[in-house]
Amino acid sequence: MPGASTLPAPARAPARDDARAPAASVPWHVLAVLFASTSVIVGVLWDISWHQTIGRDTFWSYPHMAMYLGGVVSGVACGWHVLHTSFAGSAQDRAGTVSFWKYFHGSLGAWVCIWGAIAMLTSAPFDDWWHNAYGLDVKILSPPHAVLALGILAIQLGAMLMVLSLQNRHGDQRAYRWMFAYAAGLVLINLTTMSSEYTWRSAQHDMLFYKVVAGVVPLVLVAPALAGRLRWPATAAAAAYMGVLLALTIILPLFPAEPKLAPVRFPIDRMMPPQFPLLLIVPALAIDLVLQRWGARKKGWMLAAVLGVLFVATFFVAQWPFANVLNWLATRETILHQELRPYMAGDGALSRGEFWSEASGMVIVKGLGIAAVLAILSARAGVGWGNFMARVKR
Amino acid sequence: MSGGTILRRMARRLAATFGAAAALALLAAHVGSPNVFYEGNAGPYPVRVVIRPPGVIPGLAEISVRVPNGDVRKVTVQPVRWDLGTKGAPRADPALPVAGEPRLWSAELWFMDFGSYSVHVAVEGAAGTGTVIVPVPAVATQTLGMTRGMALGLAGLGAFLFVGALTIVGAAVRESVLPPGEVPDARRRRRSWIARAVAVPVLALALLGGSRWWDAEDRAYADNLYAAPETEASVAAVDGERVLTLAITDTTWSRFSPLMPDHGKVMHMFLVREPGMDAFAHVHPVRADSLRFQLTLPAELPAGTYRLYADVVHESGFPQTFVEKVAVPAAAQAGAVVARDADDSWRVGGGEAGTAARLEDGSTMTWERDARLAAGRETTLRFRVTDPAGAPAALQPYMGMLSHAAVSRDDGSVFVHLHPAGSVSAVAQQLFAQRERGDTTRTADGQLIMRAPADHALHAAGAQPGAVSFPYEFPKPGRYRIWVQVKRDGRVLTGAFDADVP
Repeated sequence: MPGASTLPAPARAPARDDARAPAASVPWHVLAVLFASTSVIVGVLWDISWHQTIGRDTFWSYPHMAMYLGGVVSGVACGWHVLHTSFAGSAQDRAGTVSFWKYFHGSLGAWVCIWGAIAMLTSAPFDDWWHNAYGLDVKILSPPHAVLALGILAIQLGAMLMVLSLQNRHGDQRAYRWMFAYAAGLVLINLTTMSSEYTWRSAQHDMLFYKVVAGVVPLVLVAPALAGRLRWPATAAAAAYMGVLLALTIILPLFPAEPKLAPVRFPIDRMMPPQFPLLLIVPALAIDLVLQRWGARKKGWMLAAVLGVLFVATFFVAQWPFANVLNWLATRETILHQELRPYMAGDGALSRGEFWSEASGMVIVKGLGIAAVLAILSARAGVGWGNFMARVKR
Repeated sequence: MSGGTILRRMARRLAATFGAAAALALLAAHVGSPNVFYEGNAGPYPVRVVIRPPGVIPGLAEISVRVPNGDVRKVTVQPVRWDLGTKGAPRADPALPVAGEPRLWSAELWFMDFGSYSVHVAVEGAAGTGTVIVPVPAVATQTLGMTRGMALGLAGLGAFLFVGALTIVGAAVRESVLPPGEVPDARRRRRSWIARAVAVPVLALALLGGSRWWDAEDRAYADNLYAAPETEASVAAVDGERVLTLAITDTTWSRFSPLMPDHGKVMHMFLVREPGMDAFAHVHPVRADSLRFQLTLPAELPAGTYRLYADVVHESGFPQTFVEKVAVPAAAQAGAVVARDADDSWRVGGGEAGTAARLEDGSTMTWERDARLAAGRETTLRFRVTDPAGAPAALQPYMGMLSHAAVSRDDGSVFVHLHPAGSVSAVAQQLFAQRERGDTTRTADGQLIMRAPADHALHAAGAQPGAVSFPYEFPKPGRYRIWVQVKRDGRVLTGAFDADVP
């Protein structure tokens, strides 16, 4: 019968996590996938910076290698884990895994990682053909890049799930709780980077920005908030998001570089930093506070409605005035180098530290209303996903 | 339906039929011959520059620079857009010497945008540094099919990923939330099947969405493929004369910058009779209004169906060739003298299969045929003109050039208009140079003024009297006819030669 385990019925009572099992050291393959998840998203941000500064690259550029490294480490580590567990491991090892096509056993996250690695591999020749057929990409999202993005997301989700199953099985190990929040923060970076076209500082007084953030982010903050066992899991994930981005914002411009492609409308002379991270830590705090006070049954639309509305309200109150600070930062040279812009960007609102458009009055009210609806939907998905993740033990 | 649309549709159908990675060259600025040739001087150094533009934009252009004489230490190339100049260009890239070829350098440059580009070639050596500007129109001209192998491979991997995703969903629902060691019961297994069943249409929808996205990108690309603006050509009888009108009917015309006269002519038009290419005319219509060009046809031009090629250059340096077919009726009165542009010229008759052609005034034009002439191989078309007495002819500038040549393949799929300096437009070169210096002036009605074109009569260093040459490379095999035009004793002479290019 599909899915039936061949193990005999367990001798001890089921439905109890083995928190009293001896505290094992973190399996090496879990550390490997966390490293891979970091490498892959740093590679993406570095590659974006490369294309905004130098312009042209080759298959073997450093940012690409960081991405391939992440894919390879993740695929190999999880592949080893699956093969070892399936054919060389003990019955007890296999007990803590999900089965795949009857003969293969591995943790759920490992399967997702392997899927992601294969998707990344598939995207490479597809992307190469695409550039020969349609030219080099002038926007981030093309069909082959979407396949790559799915693969990268899968690697990151797999890492999150692998840490999660350990967190849920070894409830007393605080290390896993922090690792899970970190892994969730990396996924948050991924999704916000995919929508970075809409989150430039010059767009932050336009309601489209708030709608995009409201649709994308609550899912990735609410889910770890429910599944993580820290006291402030969403805040920790948002802090990880902010920390990694700020580190890159400071480190990248330390390296001099110049454009190698025409048209050069801005003579940039150092690597372009990512956009300053969004103040997601504010709505994350609010989400954590609500969940601490909610009660045992953390499910349903009511919870999603409260979380969604609160997300939009707190994010708007924090980010709208902060956008003015960002524009002010853009008019002077600081360690964050927000005065830099891509080499092909001409003079305009972005270069002058202004907004492309400024919403006011009823436009703001209507925009926030739509954003609230999107946030509620996103939060509802996060509630469902988070509750599933809270129960993952394999 | 214009020639451009027909060829575009044909190309896509062909690309779909072959399925192989067959790049099909569509119309470009000259017809069917996208490579750019320039022979001239970069300061003190004679150079021959060949630029093979990319078929897709953004794409890589291959540049080769041959410097036959001089002590050369370094050759660099730089891509420069017409509206940004060298200030908006990255640092020049070094061109590398080609192994086995002593005086040849090659480089690759990215062209990122559609539009009017130029390549600044700089040669440094014992005699100092010399620069030359070679204009290159950057347009997408090719569509690419996918090889059967790659398509199958990608489809296979895609299927694997699809099935893999379904299995993961099933495993997640069935086992992942169970404590280690517990066996999933029947209810859980049923839920796993349901989850997978629901996932199938969801994933299928995602794939469909992806496929439609690909189609949309493909359509957007195809829309951006270069095709000359749509035109209509017709001949009408006016006061006993045949007047040809070329009208631009394309609404995108207004997006281009205004036209620049090239050697005093706003349009250079070539007429080639079908099917035997046995009548040829090089004429210069004038503007009747902003969308129409008119010309009185020479009375000597016989009736028939003609292929029409009209070359223009825009103020950005971007060249275009309009392609049309036009039916020319018989002349009302044979032998009538018709008022026309003094630089118009024509020739009726076949092409010389041998090497020596007799010209209208008794002179002889001889083609020093390259024995190794082949498609895809760079060559120089060399001609010698001798007067009736047999001495080298004294040639006069014909529209500022020592000679003009036109090359046409018998089916009309290739047509180029060449000068001794190559296939580039001289006015486009001047334009780039003047913009770089910052001096351009406009008249009260907005026309850009160019200085009178320099006399190119003695372009080639050490030009021998009566000798003219054109750098070129035949893009594909076939039967071609080459018309070469020179001016002697105030009269334009046209010789025609046939070539079977293997």
